[in-house]
Amino acid sequence: MSLAQTTGRGGAGRRSARPSRLRAYFTVDGWGLLILPLVVFLAVIFVVPLGMLIAKSFTDPTLGLDNYREIFAESLYLKILTNTFVIALSVTAVTLLLAYPYAYLMTIATPVWRTVLLLLVLVPFWTSVLVRSFALVLLLRDTGVLNTIAQDVGLISEPFPIMRTMKGVIFGMVQVALPFAVLPIYATMRNIDTRLTKAAQGLGDRPSGAFWRVFVPLSMPGVAAGLLLTFIQALGYYITPAMLGGPKNTMIGELIVQQVSTVLQFGFAAALAVLLLSTTFVLLAIASRFMNLERMLMGRS
Amino acid sequence: MRTKAISLVSTAALVLSVAACGGGEDSDSVTVTMWGGQAQEAHVKSYFTPWAKEADVSIRQDSPTDYAKLDAQVKSGKVSWGLAEVEPNYAKSACDAGKLEKLPERVVEAAQKAEIDPAQMNDCAIPILQYTFSIAYNTDKFGDKHPTNWAEFFDTKAFPGKRGFWKYVTGGIFEAALLADGVAPDELYPLDLDRAFRKLDSIKDDIVWYDTGDQQIQLVASGEAPLVQAWNGRVTQAAKAGEPVANEYGQNLISYDQIVIPKGYKNAELAQDWMVWFLENPQAQADDVTASGYGPASPQAVELVPADVQPDVAGGAEVNEQSAALMNYDYWAENYDEVTKRFNTWIAK
Repeated sequence: MSLAQTTGRGGAGRRSARPSRLRAYFTVDGWGLLILPLVVFLAVIFVVPLGMLIAKSFTDPTLGLDNYREIFAESLYLKILTNTFVIALSVTAVTLLLAYPYAYLMTIATPVWRTVLLLLVLVPFWTSVLVRSFALVLLLRDTGVLNTIAQDVGLISEPFPIMRTMKGVIFGMVQVALPFAVLPIYATMRNIDTRLTKAAQGLGDRPSGAFWRVFVPLSMPGVAAGLLLTFIQALGYYITPAMLGGPKNTMIGELIVQQVSTVLQFGFAAALAVLLLSTTFVLLAIASRFMNLERMLMGRS
Repeated sequence: MRTKAISLVSTAALVLSVAACGGGEDSDSVTVTMWGGQAQEAHVKSYFTPWAKEADVSIRQDSPTDYAKLDAQVKSGKVSWGLAEVEPNYAKSACDAGKLEKLPERVVEAAQKAEIDPAQMNDCAIPILQYTFSIAYNTDKFGDKHPTNWAEFFDTKAFPGKRGFWKYVTGGIFEAALLADGVAPDELYPLDLDRAFRKLDSIKDDIVWYDTGDQQIQLVASGEAPLVQAWNGRVTQAAKAGEPVANEYGQNLISYDQIVIPKGYKNAELAQDWMVWFLENPQAQADDVTASGYGPASPQAVELVPADVQPDVAGGAEVNEQSAALMNYDYWAENYDEVTKRFNTWIAK
C-alpha cells in the first residue's frame, strides 16, 4: 500500500538519511495520508466488526469453545453447512454453463444485438433481489404461472413441484448470479484479439480447435473471476433460498438469521459465520493449489 | 507545509464523518416501533395521532420490531425506541431481565379501570391488541364444507391440500396439534411436546411454512395451501379486499401483542402518558378494530365496534365463545429458546 511509500517528497524521508527497515515501512508519504479516511473507514466497517464477530463466537455467552462444540454436537448444523456448499457449487456450475456461451454470443453479436443482450443481463441486475424472488414465487409455485399453463395445456396432470425444492433454489439463485458471471467473462472476451484465433486457423487449425486451444484459455481470467464471484456470493444467499426453498434446503445464511433474530444467540450465530468463513478459506486454499487463481484473475490479456 | 495541509484536511474529514454518526432525540417526541405494514399505519392513525395532537408531541416511527436491535439499544444505553410492540413471551423474559421500564402505578390503575385481562399484563407491559390463531380457508376450494376444528384441520384425507403454518413456535402450531390429538383445552399447558411433534409428523409432508402475514394470505388465496393456521385480522382484511378467504373460529387460540418501553428511554414518562391515554380511550381502540381488523385490548371497546364487524373481533363475545384457549406466554417465555431449537431442527430434518 502507499502507506509504505518512502519517496523523498514527504518530510520524514528527508530528516534521516537512512531509515531502518521498520521505520521505512511505517514512514508515510504526505500524499499517502489522503487514504487515511479510507483505511479508517475499512477498519471501522470491516476489520473491527469481523474481529468482534470472531471474538463473540468464543466469548458469548461463556468463554470457550462451547458454541463450536454445539455446532458439531448436532448433525443437522453440519448437514446445513454441507448443503450450503452443495447448493453454492451447483449454482456456480449452472451459472458458468449458461454465462460462458452467453458472453461469447455477446462478443460475436452485432452492436445492436450486443446492446440487447447486455440489457437483458443488466435490467434484472438493477432490479431488487427481493422483487425478483417474489416474481419467481408467482411463476414457480404449484398454483403458479408455469404449473397452471402446463396443466391447462395438458402436459402434466398434477402440479410439478419446483417451489420448496432444491430445483427452485438453484433456479432462483442462478437467475440472481448470472450477471456476476456474464459481465467479467464478457469483459475478458472482449479484449481477446480476434486475430489470434484467425492466426491459429491460418496456421492450419480447425475453427473449433482454434476456439478451444486459443480463445478458451485466453478467456480463463474472466471465468475464474466469474466463478469466484458467483461461488462466494452464493454461499451467503439468504432471501432467495428462504423464499424458494423448502425446509430441507436451508442454507447457513438462514440459520444464522434464525439464531440472531429469533433466539438471540449472537455467539452461536457468530460461530456459524466463522465456520462458514474458515471453510470458504480452506476450500479456496485447496482450489488455489490446483489452479493458479492469482494468475488466472490477473490474466495475461 | 503542503503535507501539513493535506493531513489537516484528511483529519478534518475524518472527524466530520464520525461526528455525523451521532444523533439526538427531541424532548417532546416519542418513537413508536411496530411490526410495520398496513397494520402499523392503522394503529398509528388510531392510537397515536390523536394523542400526539392533544399532548402536542411528535410521533416518530420505526419498523419492524427487532428484539436483537432492542437488546442492543438497551445494552449500549442509546435507546431510540420509546414504545415497542412486542410478543408477550419476549416482554416477560425481557422484563425479568431488566431490559424494560416497569409500569408505574398510574398505568396499572388505568389498566384496571379499562378491565384489561390481568393474564395479558405483566410488570412492564400492557396489551395493545388481540387476535386469534385460527383456521383460514380458501372459499373456492372449500365452499360448502371446511374444517371447523383442529382435528379436521389435520385430516388431510377429508380435506386434501397443503396446510400452512407459521414457521415460529409461538404461532399456535403446538397448541393446535395437541387439540387435534384430543388434548382437553384446559390441559394444554405445559405442552406435551413429544405428543405434539408426533401429531405434526403425521402431516409433515403436507406442511408449507410461512414467515410473514402477507405470505399466509398469498398461500390461502392462491390455493397453494388452501388451509392455513392464520391471524384472523389479516384474513378479515383480505376477505374485505375480495380475496377468496375466510376465517373459521372453531377452537381458535386467542393471542395478543403487548407494548413496552425499553429500559433507559429518555422520554419514558411521555411514553407512559400515552399508555394511560390509550387505556382510557376505548373509542381509539374501537376505531383501530375497524381500520386494522385486530381486536381491542380493552373489553370496553368491543361494544363501540360497528355491529357488522363484531363477529370478527378477537375479544368479542362471538370469537371468545368458540375459543379453545388463551395463549400462555408465561409458558413460552420459559420454554421459547429450547422449543425453538427443537422445532428448527425438526423442520430441517
